[in-house]
Amino acid sequence: MTAWRQAGLNYINYSNIAAKVLRRALKPELRTEALKRDESHVRITPWANGRPAHLQQADK
Amino acid sequence: MLGRVVPGVTTPVVAVINFQQNRNMATLKAISIRLKSVKNIQKITQSMKMVSAAKYTRAERDLKAARPYGEGAVQFYERAEVTPPEDDPKQLYVAMTSDRGLCGAVHTGVSKVIRTRLAEPGAENIKVICVGDKSRGILQRLYSKHIISVCQEIGRLPPTFQDACKIAGAILTSGYEFASGKIVYNKFKSVVSYQQSDLPLFSQKAVENAPKLTIYDSLDADVIQSYMEFSLASMLFYALKEGACSEQSSRMTAMDNASKNAGEMIDKLTLTFNRTRQAVITRELIEIISGAAALD
Repeated sequence: MTAWRQAGLNYINYSNIAAKVLRRALKPELRTEALKRDESHVRITPWANGRPAHLQQADK
Repeated sequence: MLGRVVPGVTTPVVAVINFQQNRNMATLKAISIRLKSVKNIQKITQSMKMVSAAKYTRAERDLKAARPYGEGAVQFYERAEVTPPEDDPKQLYVAMTSDRGLCGAVHTGVSKVIRTRLAEPGAENIKVICVGDKSRGILQRLYSKHIISVCQEIGRLPPTFQDACKIAGAILTSGYEFASGKIVYNKFKSVVSYQQSDLPLFSQKAVENAPKLTIYDSLDADVIQSYMEFSLASMLFYALKEGACSEQSSRMTAMDNASKNAGEMIDKLTLTFNRTRQAVITRELIEIISGAAALD
């Protein structure tokens, strides 16, 4: 088993960290363009029993 | 008894007269207000069309670059002949839609595929992840018990690989051990057409038991696990890109049609407006002339 998996990362986390480091190492003129690809705005809400999970906790 | 019947008969007659009067006596002001509002709507739909046309060209360019990600991942499953295990019926469906509406049947199409599947027998083993508010809105009413995750803020900006990574991370950490599944998305075919399509998902066990896995060299459990995680993210990325491209192209067509319909309405309303104006002028003339004639 690899060291990063032992640390609790999966391959996606691992490769993302590698990508982030690589982007930071780029020359300044290329870096701004590359950093745009590093953004993410998605919000994820876990659901359980037909309702968003955080609402259920509020009910209790 | 007669007294009871008569009002029952007369009221509808009165209503009809009122209705007709309203229709004929539509004042100039009412028509011009209506005309103005339709013109404004047309302006809005036209500019929405322009915006989505610009977004569409970008989405199509991005899609070309993203295609190898999805196709490569699917090729692996096809070459290795991975099949879903028969003893484990647990399935995961990912509905690829977005938060934005006004784009034809893009979102309903995807949701309908999942809805039909959930209406079939064996649906209790299916869980759904809704990507985008629209699929959640459609599926939540009847099948909210099947939803295990909802992803929001899709469609405002073009999807990035980071977005796909986040969704993949949510699937992996959801704690739901599916044996197989599908990503349901809109496959972009041309500017005017798209089609609901799906990408397969498998558990690691299903891949390890695949009959032709031996055609790939030096695979151990660790490599397979890493590859499965990466291919999940890249398939989601590809599906997001296809979905975004179909959505923009569909919105373009929808807004084009809306502008055309508004144009027709404007033509009709202008005609009525002019006719009514003419009628008002004529009536006033008659009143003046007959008034003058009465004085003589």
